[in-house]
Amino acid sequence: MIWAASAECDPAHDIICTPEFVNELFETHTIFSIGGFDVNRAMVLMFLAAFIAIGLLWFAFRKPRVVPTKFGAAMEAVVGFVRDEIAIGIIGPTGIKYFPYLLSIFLFILIGNLFEVTPFINFPITSRMAIPLFLSLVTYLIFVVVGFAKNGLHYFTAIVWPKSVPVALRPLVGVIEFVSTFLIRPLTLAVRLFANLVAGHVMLTLLLASGVVFIAHVGEIGARATIGLGWFALGMAIFLFEIVVALLQAYIFTLLSAVYIQTSVHPEH
Amino acid sequence: MEDISGALALIGYGLAAIGPGIGIGIVAGNAVQAMARQPEAAGMVRTTMFLGIAFTEALALIGFVLFFIA
Repeated sequence: MIWAASAECDPAHDIICTPEFVNELFETHTIFSIGGFDVNRAMVLMFLAAFIAIGLLWFAFRKPRVVPTKFGAAMEAVVGFVRDEIAIGIIGPTGIKYFPYLLSIFLFILIGNLFEVTPFINFPITSRMAIPLFLSLVTYLIFVVVGFAKNGLHYFTAIVWPKSVPVALRPLVGVIEFVSTFLIRPLTLAVRLFANLVAGHVMLTLLLASGVVFIAHVGEIGARATIGLGWFALGMAIFLFEIVVALLQAYIFTLLSAVYIQTSVHPEH
Repeated sequence: MEDISGALALIGYGLAAIGPGIGIGIVAGNAVQAMARQPEAAGMVRTTMFLGIAFTEALALIGFVLFFIA
């Protein structure tokens, strides 16, 4: 049996077991427990991503050099991109204050996304809703607090009672703006990252696994097993595409965080 | 009803992908046009294009997530 339902599926015998419920795709098994806290794979990888991000910056900028090494120059390009294109480019000259936060989330999300295409890990930590949701809530906290700190109560009234709109339309636009700013923004910011990575992960799994299933059953189905090569080739093409998606989603999350902070710093445009 | 719920969720996701598909096409097409007309503004256009794509794409992705929830 090639595709086995999970009830009678033996993972040691069948190559692929379909989960009984789709939610089983999102369950991660506990590896070990520390004092009542269960540690699973996503948490281990989360700490690994954080340590890799810290380590990259530490080794690149440990001691300042007049002529940077190749690695140092590469990291400088990444840091310079986030500073000039995102922090200062979007928020303006005052954006340098938010640059450490933007760089942290950019590197963390980038490394977390790239775990998807890292051999033997193959698991993007950002495909577990808790991580993108937490990151987007931090951004939410920053832009709301900055908005009230910079503009006082005017920040809130400018959203729910926009002066640039005719008076008759202001209640309607105000409700839409309120919902979109305070409810939709953090949700879509998290869901965008999460869904992109889940989609990529599921797609890679399906294509590569069906390739393996076809090729592994060459004895039973004969020449038809060559279909598996096609699935495998398509999976490898998607694999390259997923590297682009990982980069792009880290960029977009950071960019949108900067845009949201910018709307709080300068609420009139 | 139980045995067709999966198919319904698939159809729902397909419907949710139509609008953003057209929208991303319009955004990217107009961005290419703008870059071709004014290549020196390409950097700014590209950033704005990614922003527009990100906002448009969100609708399709919400549909994708609802497909798992349903």
